[in-house]
Order: sequence, then C-alpha cells, then structure tokens
Amino acid sequence: MEHVHKKQGSDGLRTALRPPTRHQLELRVDADPFWMSALRALITDVAIRADFDLDSVADLTLAVDEACAALIGAAAPQDTLVCRFAVAADRITVTVTLPIGWRTERRSLPTDTFGWRVIRTLTDDVELMDGRGSLGIRLVKLRTAAAGG
Amino acid sequence: MAEPRHADEPSGHGYERLAPLFAELAACGDDEPRRQDLRHRLVEAHLPIAQHIARRFVRRGEPLADLEQVATVGLINAVDRYEPDRGVDFLSFAVPTITGEVRRYFRDHGWAMRVPRRLKELHVTLGAAVSELSQVLGRAPTARELAAHLDLPFEDVVEGLGASNAYRSRSLDSMIDEETGSQLAAGALGQLDGELEQLENREALSPLLAELPERERAIIILRFFGNLTQTQIAERIGISQMHVSRLLSQTLAVLREKLNAG
Repeated sequence: MEHVHKKQGSDGLRTALRPPTRHQLELRVDADPFWMSALRALITDVAIRADFDLDSVADLTLAVDEACAALIGAAAPQDTLVCRFAVAADRITVTVTLPIGWRTERRSLPTDTFGWRVIRTLTDDVELMDGRGSLGIRLVKLRTAAAGG
Repeated sequence: MAEPRHADEPSGHGYERLAPLFAELAACGDDEPRRQDLRHRLVEAHLPIAQHIARRFVRRGEPLADLEQVATVGLINAVDRYEPDRGVDFLSFAVPTITGEVRRYFRDHGWAMRVPRRLKELHVTLGAAVSELSQVLGRAPTARELAAHLDLPFEDVVEGLGASNAYRSRSLDSMIDEETGSQLAAGALGQLDGELEQLENREALSPLLAELPERERAIIILRFFGNLTQTQIAERIGISQMHVSRLLSQTLAVLREKLNAG
C-alpha cells in the first residue's frame, strides 16, 4: 500500500500538531442550508485535530448540524449565521448565533422538541441564548476522560 | 430469505443440454455468422443464473436492474471465456465469474465520490483499527491514538478520517453487515413511550420513527433514548462506528426535513 511512507518527519509533525490549549475561530455565513455541509466538515476537522475520540467527534458534528439547522430554520432570508468554535484543553465550545437585533419581534426556539433532545444528548452542556438582539445556541463537548490526554 | 440459498439455483435443471452448443461455439471461427447467434442463444439461456446472482446482492442498496445488468456482463464474459474442452461444466465456471463481476462493481462503484485508491485503502485500514482500539480502550479512539497504533503520520489519519466522511461507503459497509437490529428496535421501543411523552412534537415524530427502516430506528432510539454511545451501538448491531455515524447523520437529516415539512 502506497500510504506506508511513514515516519518521515512525523514525530516533528506530531509535536507541532498537539491539541492547542486555546484556539478560536469565527465564521460568518449566510443563514442558508447551502453552508451546512461546509460547517459540518469544519467542526469535524477541528474536533479530530483537537484529538477528541471519534464518538465525540461524530456527536459534536451531529449537534452542530442540528443547531445550525434549527437556527437557519428560524432565520429570515437575509440573515447571517455567526459560528464560533473555541478549542480549550478539556472542551470544545461552539456558539452559533443569528443576530436579529434590527428586528423588533423577539424570537425563540422551542426546547421540548426532538431536535433539542438530539442536541442535548450529543453534548455535555447546551444553552439557548434568546436574549435581546440575537438568537443562538451554545454547546459544549468535553474531552472524554483519558482520551487524547 | 430463510429458504436455502440454492433453492432456485438452476444447476442440473436442463442446462447440460446446452453443452453441445458450447462445443459448437468453440469450434466456430471468429467471423462465422453462426458465432453471434450461438453466443446470443447461450447468454439468453443462462440469463436466469445471472438474475439469480444479482438478486443475492440486492439488499446491499443498489437497484436490482443495475445489478442484473452487471451480472449479465459477467455472464457474457463467462460465455466468451469458457473453454469446454477443459472438462469443467459451464455453471462451475460461470457462477464465480458472474459473482466476481458483481463484487467488482460494488468495489469500484460504491464510492459516491471519486476517492483515490490510497484513501480507500486507508479507510479500510482505519476502519479495522477503530474497531480494534475500541475493544482495547472501551471507547472510540482519537486520531492520535490511531496514528500511533498504525504507525502512520497524524496528517494521513486526519485525511483518511475526512475522506470517510466525504463519501458514503454503502458498498463497503453493506459488504460487512447484513440486516440486523430488528430485535434491538423491538426491545428499545418499549422504553420509548415514556420518553416521547416529554416531547412537544411527539405526534409528528412517532409515525416518522415507525416508518424508518428497522436498523435506522434502532440506532436513533438507542442513541437518543437509550443513551448509548455510537461505539456501543456499533458493537450491539455488529457494524462499524463509522457506519453508525453515517446512518445517524442521514437519518437525523431525514427526520428533520419531515418534521419541518409537517
């Protein structure tokens, strides 16, 4: 198999790519389903590189997918979705928000739905942020004990 | 399904009478007009065998018509390559030839996206390593653990895991597993009623869950109402964690779409 060109410089690479202690990424996209697969790919890559175990990687990806879908569903055509991914030693925090400050009506999302249950099951902490000016979901995935230590 | 696999396999049901035609075909010169006619007759006469083999693969998710076409190509190859003077009867030669053609089809066409061969191999390697390490660790491994276990560069593992998400390897996955999970779904459904009570959209959800394929329903219930991890579900159902992950993602998308439409 061709891919067994192992070892060349890989030790150096491994050291260089240790999970960062704290990194942040912010991304703004149109609140349109078109961007969901890109966001999925991004959070998967972030979680794999942060050396989360593959169950946690898959859970987080599904949770972000569900959260983005919920917010995009609540968005108006011209809305923007702001995604923040923060990687810390023990957790990844994802905040997805829909700034709706310029509109007068207050929006919220129901939390007694299957979709919300999905997000809750897949994450260690989840919070609906339906304060003034924006509607958002913050979710936290903790590193499994002993994984990627 | 429960009937013996070879029940309708037509071996020894009159195909021997076609043997003289093979001898005739072998004796035909390449451009004799009779050659095409013999070839057509032999292919047509053996079509039930190709169709039978195609049907055996139908649960792996490809349309039967496509499979029959591939199996027929295999049959034509078998007719063309068969050498009667070797003393092997045609069926013994044709069945593995046709089956091989169908398997090759799954191998080459099952990848929804063009993924380089190196990545396909890496995916298979990773899949095996994920199962192995899950057993040892009692949880899914991380990319770094996989890299160390396989003695591969971390970047290769990340790339390989990314590739696994980029395509749907229904062929590979379904090669490994046959249908399972129905008993699981039945068992898990019992505890579901109480849980569903709490959901505002349960009236819409219940029928959608009910119409899911049994295995997908089992996975959804075990993950979201039974609180098992994907690795635990994979173990119970006998498929890979990566496969559980893909099925969950597809099924959630379907449910979301239907719930929103409703």
